[in-house]
Amino acid sequence: MRIKISTFFLGVLFLLLFCGLFNLQVLQYDKFSRLSRKNHIRLLAQPGARGRILDRNNQVIIDNYLTFDVMVLAEEKEELDQAISIIARTLGISPAELKKAYRKNYSAPFIPVTLAKNIDIKKAVALEELKMDYPGVVIQQRPVRSYPYGKLACHVAGYLSEIDQWRLSKLQDYGYNPKDIVGYGGVEEKYDYYLREEEGALSVEVDHRGRFVRTLGFKPAKNGKDIQLTLDLAIQKIAESSLGERKGSVVIMDPASGEIFALASSPGYNPEVFVKKTGSSLADIFANSHSVLMNRAISGAYAPGSVFKLVVAEAALDTSKINLGTSFYCPGGMLVGNRYFKCWDTHNQQDLIQAIAHSCDVFFYHTGILLGAPLIHDYSLKFGFSKPTGIDLPYEVSGFVPHPRWKKASRSQIWYDGDTANFSIGQGDLLTTPIQIVRMASVFANRGFLVNPYIVKSIAGQDITAYQKGNKSLGIKERFLNAIRQGELKVVADPQGTASVLAGLSVAVAGKTGTAQVTRGQPHGWFSGFFPFDHPKFAICVFLENGGSGYGACMVAKQIIEEMSKQGLV
Amino acid sequence: MKASGFLIIIVALTIALIGILSIYSSTYQKEASGWQLVYRRQILWVVLGLVLFFLLANFNYRRLWDASYLLYALVVFLLFLVFVLGAIRLGAQRWLRFGWFNFQPTELAKIVMVIFLAKYFSKKSSGDVSLLMTKFGILRAFVLPFIFVAIPMGLIIEQPDLGSAIVVLLIFLTMLYLAGIKLKYVMILAAIALISLPLFWNFLHDYQKDRLMVFLNPNVDPLGAGYTVIQSKIAIGSGGIFGKGWLAGTQSQLHFLPESHTDFIFATFAEQWGLIGSSALILLYCALVREGIRIGLDTHDYFGRLLAFGISLMLGLQVFINIAMNLGLAPVVGIPLPLMSYGGSSVFTTFIALGILANIAKKRSVF
Repeated sequence: MRIKISTFFLGVLFLLLFCGLFNLQVLQYDKFSRLSRKNHIRLLAQPGARGRILDRNNQVIIDNYLTFDVMVLAEEKEELDQAISIIARTLGISPAELKKAYRKNYSAPFIPVTLAKNIDIKKAVALEELKMDYPGVVIQQRPVRSYPYGKLACHVAGYLSEIDQWRLSKLQDYGYNPKDIVGYGGVEEKYDYYLREEEGALSVEVDHRGRFVRTLGFKPAKNGKDIQLTLDLAIQKIAESSLGERKGSVVIMDPASGEIFALASSPGYNPEVFVKKTGSSLADIFANSHSVLMNRAISGAYAPGSVFKLVVAEAALDTSKINLGTSFYCPGGMLVGNRYFKCWDTHNQQDLIQAIAHSCDVFFYHTGILLGAPLIHDYSLKFGFSKPTGIDLPYEVSGFVPHPRWKKASRSQIWYDGDTANFSIGQGDLLTTPIQIVRMASVFANRGFLVNPYIVKSIAGQDITAYQKGNKSLGIKERFLNAIRQGELKVVADPQGTASVLAGLSVAVAGKTGTAQVTRGQPHGWFSGFFPFDHPKFAICVFLENGGSGYGACMVAKQIIEEMSKQGLV
Repeated sequence: MKASGFLIIIVALTIALIGILSIYSSTYQKEASGWQLVYRRQILWVVLGLVLFFLLANFNYRRLWDASYLLYALVVFLLFLVFVLGAIRLGAQRWLRFGWFNFQPTELAKIVMVIFLAKYFSKKSSGDVSLLMTKFGILRAFVLPFIFVAIPMGLIIEQPDLGSAIVVLLIFLTMLYLAGIKLKYVMILAAIALISLPLFWNFLHDYQKDRLMVFLNPNVDPLGAGYTVIQSKIAIGSGGIFGKGWLAGTQSQLHFLPESHTDFIFATFAEQWGLIGSSALILLYCALVREGIRIGLDTHDYFGRLLAFGISLMLGLQVFINIAMNLGLAPVVGIPLPLMSYGGSSVFTTFIALGILANIAKKRSVF
């Protein structure tokens, strides 16, 4: 009897084993199968190289170079300690620091942990040789952005850094992951999708100590696509060196097509500091009160000053408020309403061409008041102000063109003739970006077309300029155009012209200067124009933030044009 | 040889062959060539085990009756030797070295305790033994045999080999129960064992405490003591219904599973052969135990009967504890899976036990 009870009891125990087996192998199969794969399969990332950025002649502006990272893959404490001590000795870093890095970068078991990045090649080779004895040490090659020209074209290119929460939330659907390196600002950001490399992976089978057993699969990394810009490296260099340390911007554009030859903004920064991540230099950039990261050419909106007078002139001619024979007397100022508006000089009798050449304010006070603010507003919009130009760079701002209705709506104030007078000489609430100004200058260079500026010529060898929208004709009458161009030429050629310093260059330059009063600090200095006069190949805008006057901008333009003709670029 | 003895050797040999295949697969990818020899040595143990089986199958088990005190003394002596050598070498030791063979007296102790207890409880022979048993006072029925069991058990715990000590204790309880001792006494002993558990806790080594804690929750220490249980469960679970296939067990062959050829041989097997294979294996063990119990039921000799039951249940208990431990249903205590796990001592004593069973089957008509 008792043996039956015992047998029955043992039978129940064995039944329990069947239940246990069924539970693990059937009910929980998926879980354990996954855990098993995780145990013995490792994915080792294979970094690819980000696309390079080239100038219009395929000269490399921004490149990549190979760096070496030290990683450690150890599942046992002894192995880890050994690996850390040998790495510490080779790199000359204290083991405690490496341990800290290990703890910080540890993500999951069986994934290599990065201990040090960008180690130099000699040390990498030394560690690589130790690999036989310390299988836990992994040296990974990683292409890293390099900037052979330092801060050259930094605002066009932008910089690279780890993706932030805001960008991640927008880009997650496009295959971006946390910790991805993405572009910030410039072409790096705008064309990140093309430039970014696709990480490859090596899937290997390893044993319980993380040692390699065999390769299971390999997906090679895909390098990013190279992007060719419309920039001309030589012109960009000239533009930046001429601008020097002054705050401001230079844009040089093909007035016929809108291709940007040079786009400089100062002060700049060396994007390399974002790669090397040395704390102090990064902190300097963010602490700098001069907005080092801002691309002044497209993201800064400033009062254009007298440069704007060309728009007023075209508007007045087109609406027949004045004609080519109209002249006004400039006694050095005039009373508008009950306020006396000064001219910067005493010009006596001035017709349109003279008024442009001498930048006579009184002439334009009269003209503007004849026109009225709404018309100036409308013609400004026609010339592309108050809207981004649509250049293929991020963070372009619209600028601002005031209107009497706006003043009433937002400030509950009446628009006075004084406001119109200010508006007509490019002062007051009007705000423009240098890229808008160079586009305006192009209209007179290309005889009446509003172009769409762009900076990327081709992606991975495929020309994308065909996708650009065509130029838009503004329907400016030939007579008016010729007169305004004549005025612009006189700005340089007339001995009393405001840009007469540009006379006597090997190439005939036409343009307009501007000196815009600002509420705080020195006035902004502008020069916008085109050259050569007969067959314009370049439209230029020089802008000096708080640069004192248009004269300073002219000097920069002179230096640029001189250097360009010296190098045979004109 | 009778049919039942034939059945025993066929089933045992099948299990042993499965064991050799599993040991081969678990050592298949080990780099050092020394490991390749492991399965060959197991073949040798099985062959020698077979020799022992046939020797015992033709050795009248009644003579064990006469030799039981001698065997008991021998086992206690060997265990004492292990204890003394262990003390001299200042370390844990479970085996004695005989030339090239490391012998574990503990394995022998299990079978000898079965023989000894079978004799003790059937001393008065003949049919009214059970009646006599009920008349046995608490001293003779309970205290005296307990002292006899406690001596080798103490030495085994001291080695330290908690698992084997528990097996010996369970053998004792089972034999007491089967011998017809008043249920009251068996209960009392079981109760004492339960009550003394907390006291016992303090005498455990730290690693033993860890293992018990880990049994209650393997995630307490996933890279330390819990590692083996987790890896064993992964191995078995990832085998699924059909298994990963012969020599394709990643858990065992890439060494994520420790002890894959000894205590955790079942996990190695289950990973490669799945639910189907491991169910078949458990059924083979069931067949073996069942056959042993059938032999006992057919035997009229009370000593032979008790011996057959004892051997069958000892095997069954060890199989259960080992597999349950592989499945994470029991704490990790070092108990080999009879006939499967690598190790001469275990293979030898199992074949000896089965040989005795075969002999009982042969002789049962004598009485």
